[in-house]
Amino acid sequence: MPYEYIAIAMFAGMMAMLLTGQRVFAGIGFVAVVAAIMLWGDRGGHDIAFTSTIKLMNWYPMLTLPMFVWMGYVMSETRLADDLYRMFHVWFGPVPGGLAIGTILLMVLVSAMNGLSVAGLAIGATIALPELLKRGYDKRMVTGIIQGGSSLGILVPPSIVLVLYAMIARQPVGQLWLAGIFPGLLMAGLFLLYVVIRCRINPALGPALPKSELASISRAEKYRLLTAGVLPVVIFLSMMGPFVLGYVSLVESSVIGAAIATLVALVKRRLTREVWEKCIVSTLGVSCMFMWILLAALAFGAVFDGLGAVRAIEAFFLEDLGLSRWEIMILMQVSFLLMGMFLDDTAMLVIVAPLYIPLVRALEFDLIWYGILYTITCQVAYITPPFGYNLFLMRAMAPDQVSLTDIYRSIVPIVGIMILTLIIIMIFPQIALWLPNQVYGQ
Amino acid sequence: APIKWRMQTYAGAALGEHVCKPAIDQFNKIAAGQMEIELYYADQLVPTSELFRAMQNGTIDAVQSDDDSMQSPTEVTVFGGYFPFASRYSLDVPVLFNQYGLKEIWEQEYGAVGIQHISAGAWDPCHFATKDPINSLADLDGKRVFTFPTAGRFLAQFGVVPMQLPWEDIQVALQTGELDGIAWSGITEDYTVGWADVTKYFLTNNISGAWIGHFFANADRWNEVPDNLKLLMQVCFEQSHYYRQWWYWGGEADLRVNGPKLELTSIPDAEWATVEEKAREFWDEIAAESEVKAKVVEIVKKYNDVMAKAGRPYRYG
Amino acid sequence: MPRAAVAFVHIVETVNTRIGRVAMYLIFVLAGVLLWSVISKAFFRPALWTQEMAQFTMVGYFVLGGAYSLILGANVRMDLLYGRWSPKMQAAVDCITIFALIFFLAVMLWGGIESTIYAFEVNERSRTVWRPYMAPIKIVICVGVFLMLLQSIAFLIRDIATLRGERI
Ligand code: NA
Ligand code: NA
Repeated sequence: MPYEYIAIAMFAGMMAMLLTGQRVFAGIGFVAVVAAIMLWGDRGGHDIAFTSTIKLMNWYPMLTLPMFVWMGYVMSETRLADDLYRMFHVWFGPVPGGLAIGTILLMVLVSAMNGLSVAGLAIGATIALPELLKRGYDKRMVTGIIQGGSSLGILVPPSIVLVLYAMIARQPVGQLWLAGIFPGLLMAGLFLLYVVIRCRINPALGPALPKSELASISRAEKYRLLTAGVLPVVIFLSMMGPFVLGYVSLVESSVIGAAIATLVALVKRRLTREVWEKCIVSTLGVSCMFMWILLAALAFGAVFDGLGAVRAIEAFFLEDLGLSRWEIMILMQVSFLLMGMFLDDTAMLVIVAPLYIPLVRALEFDLIWYGILYTITCQVAYITPPFGYNLFLMRAMAPDQVSLTDIYRSIVPIVGIMILTLIIIMIFPQIALWLPNQVYGQ
Repeated sequence: APIKWRMQTYAGAALGEHVCKPAIDQFNKIAAGQMEIELYYADQLVPTSELFRAMQNGTIDAVQSDDDSMQSPTEVTVFGGYFPFASRYSLDVPVLFNQYGLKEIWEQEYGAVGIQHISAGAWDPCHFATKDPINSLADLDGKRVFTFPTAGRFLAQFGVVPMQLPWEDIQVALQTGELDGIAWSGITEDYTVGWADVTKYFLTNNISGAWIGHFFANADRWNEVPDNLKLLMQVCFEQSHYYRQWWYWGGEADLRVNGPKLELTSIPDAEWATVEEKAREFWDEIAAESEVKAKVVEIVKKYNDVMAKAGRPYRYG
Repeated sequence: MPRAAVAFVHIVETVNTRIGRVAMYLIFVLAGVLLWSVISKAFFRPALWTQEMAQFTMVGYFVLGGAYSLILGANVRMDLLYGRWSPKMQAAVDCITIFALIFFLAVMLWGGIESTIYAFEVNERSRTVWRPYMAPIKIVICVGVFLMLLQSIAFLIRDIATLRGERI
């Protein structure tokens, strides 16, 4: 059988396995080892899965993953962000749509303190959403912005998705993180603009806080709440600062971040026995999920590469179709977005690894810039049905009055804004690349 | 093609484009469909630490690497990098292998573990490229440096903290602060793979020596190949070593003089004498470890003796 | 269900839960090692062993914790179809697809055991100056994968019980 067919069979097999609902890593790993044994059965094809473990072990930025997962859980479970929400509530409440604006800003700050979207979603869905609904905010608008806003967790540093991408693309994590800052702010800015415009057109979507409620909050209390905003800044700076200045390594900075978040939680006496149990068990679960999927993906990628399929795909696009590099890039992005709607981000990683990164490299596009495009596409994948991590979580955490239909409807404009951001960054790569170039001086 | 091989090199794509790919392309072209070698770069199929075993098992048919990087379980592994005492010019390596008997030792050692040794060549000198300047041996103290194991053992006595990372991650590690520098390659490689972008200084003394590199194959696979193709492979691999000879020889000089990215530093001559003396002690220690190692060290000493007596241009002073 | 099968499930899950609950504290060992790395770099000479020790710890963490994470249900599934099925239907499909997991883990164990034997044969040591022996971490990987394999078989038995309308 020609290798091209084996490659197609591998992909089809993987998709079929995923559809059966078996654990994702099992499906991917199974296809990888079967293909490896069929190809090299008489000569050590069974090594591939094990050697992937060694690959994973040797890649030191992976050490940051459990640290950031832990940090995210400590943040959300100890409710370190409660005061933050109250700060935005009080300060932005009087403006029409102000609570929604405050929620977006909250999401940005939470994103700067953890590497996934889970923490943001937990805080958004359990703290902000009930308050917003109580004040008569449009449920579809606010459900949407919480989903979109929390997904900024993977674009604004620290970002676990960018760590995973860095492993596969062999790109510097530090630069990728810095590259995520302005696109993250741009996207947040567009969310804000969206809320402001909609509330301007129809003030009923986001009523201002009633005067009576505002009067009940003293001036002193208002200023006390402002200090809540200091916490994320401290955590972010203590983590990123020494790293960007070169005093500590990336891995070490992640431990510092985790340690400070834990320390703050201890000082605030929020780390009760139950919270502790929840944090440590969830960290193990989520870390294991990522590690095992990545391990399976590495095995899959190695076999796929061993087939020479990557070369075949390159040749297909570049020589057979005769497309220009930008045409291929757009084609890739469109297909990737479509896939993202049907897949979740972990499965996307498996596809992006063997297929897209070699192609992007062959076309001589910047792999840092592409990492940002990849991450935004992952954000879309997070929130789009039928598979979407945030979507599932939202379904589990949102108050009862938010129905599944509401959740599905709510993401339409959000996905639009994400795609708009994606296009802007494709046209103006400097939005992503300026900061890392500035810091690393290239 | 009726015979298809997978070869993995220790080098990442940027370097492999020069030091491996041209020879493989030539081979494939001349073999004209009779056989095809597919080339994979560092860690692409298996991690470099598992490379040797993968070749033994046959997951990979052939490997381009030095002994040290792929951790071959042979007595000659420590000779992946040779040291200031060992040789001066890259031509020394082919002479040692072809006229002084190293080739036979390598063939025997690898034959015993199911591997065919195909060809040995002189690769690049191993210099320091660092973020902070090194003007004396004291400046080495406490530097976290990417290097290879044997050099690491040697350099540790100067206070260097040797680090091991996958080759592809070095540039990143220099940026993220995991490394202060590298003691691994010549300036040509520094520029070619981008390390010159993330370091500032280049030490002209090659304290960590230089590389001997090889092509290997799984012995069973090798035996299956018809004789004309075996010969073609040998010729093409020799050609790869030759390509390196002039590519580095010219590249090193040019980039030292005209390269815009790295500032040159040197250690005082007196300290260089210390390094050479330490190297001789170090190799005596290595020789004491086993008979095979003793034999290799003895050959190198004998060779150096001849070269010294031959005078200029072989050796100065 | 046969008593032996039920006993197997209970023993495997008890052992895996205990091991996993110990392994999950490795994250603090990991943090400790890395913090020492920061401290030793700042105040003394950078430690030679921290990075590699941290990497070994991380592998121990997700490999020895792997079986427990399976019990916790932490490994995502695509539940487009799966989520809509009845528990019986899910069990029926899992009964078949669990063999994918079993096969993957078995092949991994196979490669792992070979690599471990090799590590013993040649006294394999890491390339670093610290030069730790590689056999211990390879054994840890093999043990972890073996425990996950046992856990997958326990899942299979549970699913069969569900299909027969029994509970374990
Ligand atoms: Na983040
Ligand atoms: Na999706």
